[in-house]
Amino acid sequence: MKRVILGLLVALLAVSVAFAADDIYPEYKGEPVTLTMWAWTSNEDYSIREFEKAYPNIKVQWENFGVHYTKAQTAIAAGEGLPDVLMIEYTFAPEFMELGAFVPINQWLPEEKFVKLFGEPALNWCALDGKIYGTPQDSGAIALFYRKDIFEKYGLTVPQTWPEFAEQARKLRQADPNLNFATVPLGWALWWIGQVWEAGGKVFDYKDGKWYIDFTNPVAEKVFNFWGELIDEGTIKIEQWWSPDWYNSLNVGKTAAVIIGCWFAEWLRYNAPESEGLWRVTIPPQWDPANPHNGMIGGSGFYVTTHSKNPEAAAIFVMWLNSHPESLKCLHKYSNLPVMVSTRYAEVLDEVAGPDKFFGGQNIVETLWEAHKLVDTAYVALPIQTNVDQALGLLLQDYVDGKIKKFADILPMWEEAVVKAMKEFGYDNVVVGELP
Amino acid sequence: MIRTRRGRSVFKAYLFLAPFLVLFAFVVVYPIIFGVRLSLYGQRGARMWYVGLSNYRTILGDPRFWEAFKIPLFLLLVQVPLMIFLAILIAFVYERMPRGRAAFYRFIHYLPYTIPAIVAGIVWSYIFSDSMSPLRPLLDLLGFAGVRILNREHVPLVLLVIIFWEFTGYTAFVVFSALLAVPREYAEQAQIDGATFWQTAFFIKLPLVRGVITMLFIFNAIGALQVFNEPWMLGELVVLPPNYTPAMYIYNSAFAYGRFTYATAMGLVLACITFLISLYVLRMASRQLLARGW
Repeated sequence: MKRVILGLLVALLAVSVAFAADDIYPEYKGEPVTLTMWAWTSNEDYSIREFEKAYPNIKVQWENFGVHYTKAQTAIAAGEGLPDVLMIEYTFAPEFMELGAFVPINQWLPEEKFVKLFGEPALNWCALDGKIYGTPQDSGAIALFYRKDIFEKYGLTVPQTWPEFAEQARKLRQADPNLNFATVPLGWALWWIGQVWEAGGKVFDYKDGKWYIDFTNPVAEKVFNFWGELIDEGTIKIEQWWSPDWYNSLNVGKTAAVIIGCWFAEWLRYNAPESEGLWRVTIPPQWDPANPHNGMIGGSGFYVTTHSKNPEAAAIFVMWLNSHPESLKCLHKYSNLPVMVSTRYAEVLDEVAGPDKFFGGQNIVETLWEAHKLVDTAYVALPIQTNVDQALGLLLQDYVDGKIKKFADILPMWEEAVVKAMKEFGYDNVVVGELP
Repeated sequence: MIRTRRGRSVFKAYLFLAPFLVLFAFVVVYPIIFGVRLSLYGQRGARMWYVGLSNYRTILGDPRFWEAFKIPLFLLLVQVPLMIFLAILIAFVYERMPRGRAAFYRFIHYLPYTIPAIVAGIVWSYIFSDSMSPLRPLLDLLGFAGVRILNREHVPLVLLVIIFWEFTGYTAFVVFSALLAVPREYAEQAQIDGATFWQTAFFIKLPLVRGVITMLFIFNAIGALQVFNEPWMLGELVVLPPNYTPAMYIYNSAFAYGRFTYATAMGLVLACITFLISLYVLRMASRQLLARGW
């Protein structure tokens, strides 16, 4: 505990020294302008208000349409209608970059400044070919959310490694076959790719004008074989997440643990109110405890679109929104995002971290920030994320229906479907079988 | 032309029709023309380039588009005739019931039609969820304990249940209203000749409302070919292929994959197929009328 506090203080000192001069944020000398933004995070207006105080000439009009991908696609095809600033999840961003939805903002946010404010991995989510299109907001760092009461009741220990995880899962399955130690989602490629990421690997990437696809690499196979064994034997079930059944199981205590992005804390709070006080959070089990590692599931960035009439103002806004301590505080407090990607989040950590009642008094921000810091690799997602997702969903449904016997067989089939989709969409710069 | 009495009448007719015609032209005709134009282009993001009839050629060879017709075909051959037959039966039962009771049942049977599909969908998702469904104990009792209520194979059956629930009451209502227009004398005459109620119903009254029944067939056929709402809702609970029905494939192509022009071309092809099938049903019905000497 002391070490953590010491570490935080040192980080705080270092970061505040680095940012002592607050002239990282450029002045805005242009015409008064009103920017439009589409975002589905709740309560962004608090941050907006702080921003407008700092930049009185820039007003921001925020519109919330929920997850607005359909609307955005239509606007792109129509050639008009996108807002100045668009919120897109990191894995879907390359698709929009390829469609020409975003405009580069290197002019106002050069690469060095970007890395200083957000870290190098984030370049893979907000930039392509050296052109920076936006800034990252929340971290999707994977965490293990678990029910302390169920663990105590059945004498389960919090797994530190994946073999321990398998052991505890089997233990619970034997003790009470009606409970699930954890379940895996039926589809949702982000989750599965996140597992590979957490193991230190990836399944696709982009480099120097070429897309690389290799699903059957050793790390991915290791991950899929691990889950495959547990799923084939029935210890872990595949479930349709985000369905009434699933929320119900979390609420009434049918599921003991969930491996998911740290933003899930907000979802739990709102969707499983009856389980208040019973959940805890920890970093996910590791493959190699000596070299801890993590990946992300979800998380979104804010990008400046080509339809924006004032990209300078928009660039300043996204820079400020996702890195200025005042904004980060609001994002945490009012939008309930536990961890932000920005390196400057360390500056406000003390202020925002504290015991969380829903999590039985645990200081989850501290734990989740630790989980976030373990994310030290990244990759660029394919520009056909919707197809990647759909392809996996269909294969998993086939498995559930009994058409595929062995779970691990899904991996090569998935690769085949994805490669086919890339070709269909006219991408002839694809390299299959290796990764950069 | 307006100067003649007939001309003035015609002019007045058009004046009354004007609001509808304007809306129709704007909301139906113009998008179709625009759509035809759009379908002649290839598209990726904001870029569009002329490709002539290439999209249509691709559609002809696109197995995913044609496989999508399996479900509409299933609905066309099973749901449509079955539902209309059921609705006819129910309409005759309304006739036999005492007035007040019949009105009450007509009302509650009609209600599902008035409930928005999204709202109904949410409730259906609870009814078909494995952990909270009221059907679960019943199924367990009948020996289906290990079987999930909703998996991909059960979806067509579930679709039938939902569509029947939604539309049977409404269809029965329409048939009943048509039956009201049948002169009583025919039924009375038949009864005097010794026919039972059901014989009268199917051999006397039903043929007299043939026009309405044909219209119901056509509308239901169109609905079956373009089915979207119900499978879309079920797609939230069980993973369905993007081309589960033609309308879903068109929607996904446009909004999930961003292939708007390709989707437009498919939409026009679907519209043509729907039109041809409606024409066929209409022809069949009128030919039968002709054969019977009407």
